[in-house]
This record gives sequence, structure tokens and C-alpha cells, in this order.
Amino acid sequence: MATVDRYQYLLLMAGCLLVTLPLEFVFGARVWRRPRRLLFALVPTVILFAVWDIAAIARGHWSFDPRYVTGRQLPGNLPVEELTFFIVIPICGLLTLEAVRRILERAR
Amino acid sequence: MWEYTAAAVVVVAAVVLFELRVLRTGLLGTRAYWIALAICYVFMIAVNGWLTKLTAPVVLYDADATTGWRFPWDIPVEDYLFGFALLTLAMLLWDAAAPRQREVADAKVTNVTVSSSPREPARGAPS
Repeated sequence: MATVDRYQYLLLMAGCLLVTLPLEFVFGARVWRRPRRLLFALVPTVILFAVWDIAAIARGHWSFDPRYVTGRQLPGNLPVEELTFFIVIPICGLLTLEAVRRILERAR
Repeated sequence: MWEYTAAAVVVVAAVVLFELRVLRTGLLGTRAYWIALAICYVFMIAVNGWLTKLTAPVVLYDADATTGWRFPWDIPVEDYLFGFALLTLAMLLWDAAAPRQREVADAKVTNVTVSSSPREPARGAPS
């Protein structure tokens, strides 16, 4: 159980991607299918939030329970889970935005 | 003291200013954006609630860096600003990268984009 626990954060992120996947293929969000535009949205966002995160970790604003993370870290003591968060959550947001747009268009 | 709170307020303000002064996508004035944000917040409460629950927290916060207000369950209120900035910035950039129907369409895209992105609604109009 302890080993599974260390993947809690990563599994939660995987769950987010899985749950939002129908937005792309059922609601026609077309986010995954526009990879260049997606990258344009993600890269600056990920950089800004990674910098913020590294600073916040260095200042001790927050920390991570070693029981629930893999322990793999990027430069700046940034857990890989955090980087995953900054990629996954915006993707979920974009899928939601585009799905809402498709629904509003259809309702018109 | 309250450093996370202050940082979160500053970043939210910066994202909004970036839109108003630089990107000017008009996203913040659309119904779709606010509906999407509301939906995201519902799911965010579930995800963040799990990460921050004080019974077995994945993320631990320094009491001195935040206001200490947590709602609902144990979610620090600052996280809502953090989430707003994260989601809004990505959405703004996404829209800023949208193919511009009005200017570009007339020029050359007339018979090119049809298959790749049918009916991209025109954005960037200061509605």
C-alpha cells in the first residue's frame, strides 16, 4: 500500500486527464488535436508557475509529504508531480472552455 | 507573513493586466469563459480538497505564509487565486493563438482552413 501511496498525486493527475478526455472526443473540444496551439498556451504558463513554485518551496510556503509523492525532483527541488499539475490542469481547463463553447454554439 | 496570499494576489492582477494591456483577446468578457471557470472550480475543489486535506495532506502549507482561511474542508483560500491565474493564463494564451478569422481569412485561408478547423468563431473582437 505504501508504494501505491507514493503515486497518489500522480494518479490524481492521470485521473484528471482521463475524466476530461470525453470533452475532446464526445463534445468536440479539439484541444488535443491542436498540439501547436496547445503548446503555445502551455509553455509560458508552465514556466511561470514552475518559477513561482520553486520560489515558494524555497521560501517554505508549502512542502510535500514524502509519503504521497514519488520523490523525483527537478532542479529547484520541484517535484515532478508539480510540473505534471501545471500541464494537466490547464489542459483540463482548455478542454472545459472549448466544450462549453461547442455547447453554447449548438444551443444557438 | 501572508507571503503566499500576497504572491497570489499579485499574480492574478498580473494575468488580468496582461490580458487588458497586451493580449486583448476579450476572453474575460465571454459567457463561455465564466461558465468554464465555474465548472473548473467544482472539479478543483475535489482535486485540491484531496491534496490539501489535513487528515493526510499531500501538500502542506506554512501557517505563516497564508491567511489560514480554509474553505471548504481544508483548501487554503489562496489556492483559488492560484487556480484562477493558472487556468486563465492558459486560456488567454490559447485564445491569443487562435487563427484570426477576420484578417487572415480574407487574405489567404479561404480554401485552406476549411478542413482543419471549421467554423472557428472570430475572436479578439473587443465585444
